[in-house]
Amino acid sequence: MRHKLLAGLAAGFIATVGIAAPAQAISPSTADLYILHAVPDLTVDVWVDGEILKADFEPGTLTDPFDLPNGDYEVAITAAGAPLADAAIGPITLTLAANTSYTAVAHLDADGNPTATLFTNDLSTIAAGQGRLTVRHTAAAPAVDILANGAAALTNLTNSKETKADLPAGTISAAVAATGTTDPVIGPADVTIQEGVNTIVYAWGSLEDKNLQLAVQTIGGLHSNPNGVQSGTAGLAADLNPVVLSLSIAALVALLAAVSVATLRVRTSRQSNR
Amino acid sequence: MFNRFAIAIVTVFLLAGCSAAQVEQLAPTPAPASGAPAGPQIGSESAALKPTRQPVPPVRVQVGDISVDVPVTPVGIEADGSMQLPPDVSVAGWYQYGSDPGSDTGTTVVSAHVDSLEYGLGPFSQLKNLPAGAVITVSSADGTTHDYTVESVQSILKAELPLDQVFDRDGSPRLALITCGGQFDYDSLHYSDNVVVIAVPVA
Repeated sequence: MRHKLLAGLAAGFIATVGIAAPAQAISPSTADLYILHAVPDLTVDVWVDGEILKADFEPGTLTDPFDLPNGDYEVAITAAGAPLADAAIGPITLTLAANTSYTAVAHLDADGNPTATLFTNDLSTIAAGQGRLTVRHTAAAPAVDILANGAAALTNLTNSKETKADLPAGTISAAVAATGTTDPVIGPADVTIQEGVNTIVYAWGSLEDKNLQLAVQTIGGLHSNPNGVQSGTAGLAADLNPVVLSLSIAALVALLAAVSVATLRVRTSRQSNR
Repeated sequence: MFNRFAIAIVTVFLLAGCSAAQVEQLAPTPAPASGAPAGPQIGSESAALKPTRQPVPPVRVQVGDISVDVPVTPVGIEADGSMQLPPDVSVAGWYQYGSDPGSDTGTTVVSAHVDSLEYGLGPFSQLKNLPAGAVITVSSADGTTHDYTVESVQSILKAELPLDQVFDRDGSPRLALITCGGQFDYDSLHYSDNVVVIAVPVA
């Protein structure tokens, strides 16, 4: 290994001060669980295994991730302040696998009744220059198409289902329309596809109640770095090769010595010829 | 973040035990399981669609100590997966998918060819002569300037360049200036090393 410090403080590799811990807490024994409240007009308490872990939870809000050992959890949603026996959703059993990220969504089904869906978040690495767009249908509405810049990009998405694609990083004008149509029922709205980020867009609310809208969750740290920096092709800035240099010096010394001896012989012979 | 939530979960379960005991002491009959949240609550935020911060590209890098003053242009990835670079040795590239000088976290990565057959020897050939403490000024597209001081200058075998550290996005803000150096292989036309300057923001 050759690694030279030319100036400054870092004695080893590039200083690691300030490198943050990974953004995801999942591990071989734990899972991440986010909870999204997507039932309009209802402030709720979230119960996990008989205890309230999130109280007075407003529609359109997303929790930070719970870091939980893998296993089964009994989850229920009640109106804020109501007893567990009066659960509006559940109790339902969520099975969480280790090393996995989930979002549990409390939402309306296609007929407008409260329900819950457990989605798995795709944390696989994204190619450099791209971001991931995930779209989840959690609205009281029939099947929809997702339009990007006016054209249908992801089609025939139904309630409690998701679809996703890795796209070039950038901002798109996104809209939601009934399948086969292009008249938006939500949007258009600018959605930034951030490089190395899974941008998860939820359609929620009720078509009938005219309160359809988008919610967004982002999970970052999924990017790929360049595999190197190739920044020179002519050899003009090369260090002298020490092996070549020492051989050159040795050869030069030998040459000079030979020339001196030859010169001495010539002088001596001339003197002796006088 | 891992530790904070692990502690929150453990605290919730511990306090749940405590509060149940208190309810039994204060009321003659056990209260029904309702209402009171069991201890510290997990954080949450609005999930409404909101604009995300757009990067502010650097446009110029000046290093007075080695008479370097170069324009900077945003670059991405080559087809072979390496960082793209402007062909002109007098123009530097900023890795546009990483941090910029205005980011709260991460390393702003700027690189230029040390030389090329077409353009000859470039200004970044002088990076290896930078002393620690030298000042680097980066100007950004929004008119702001950011000053950094050199923390280290290293020549690292390319295969050992710690890419995740150089292209870090989550740690404290830094500037990395990178070019090639070391030995040159006349068969493959590649240098052996990357010369890496790490600089930290002036407080």
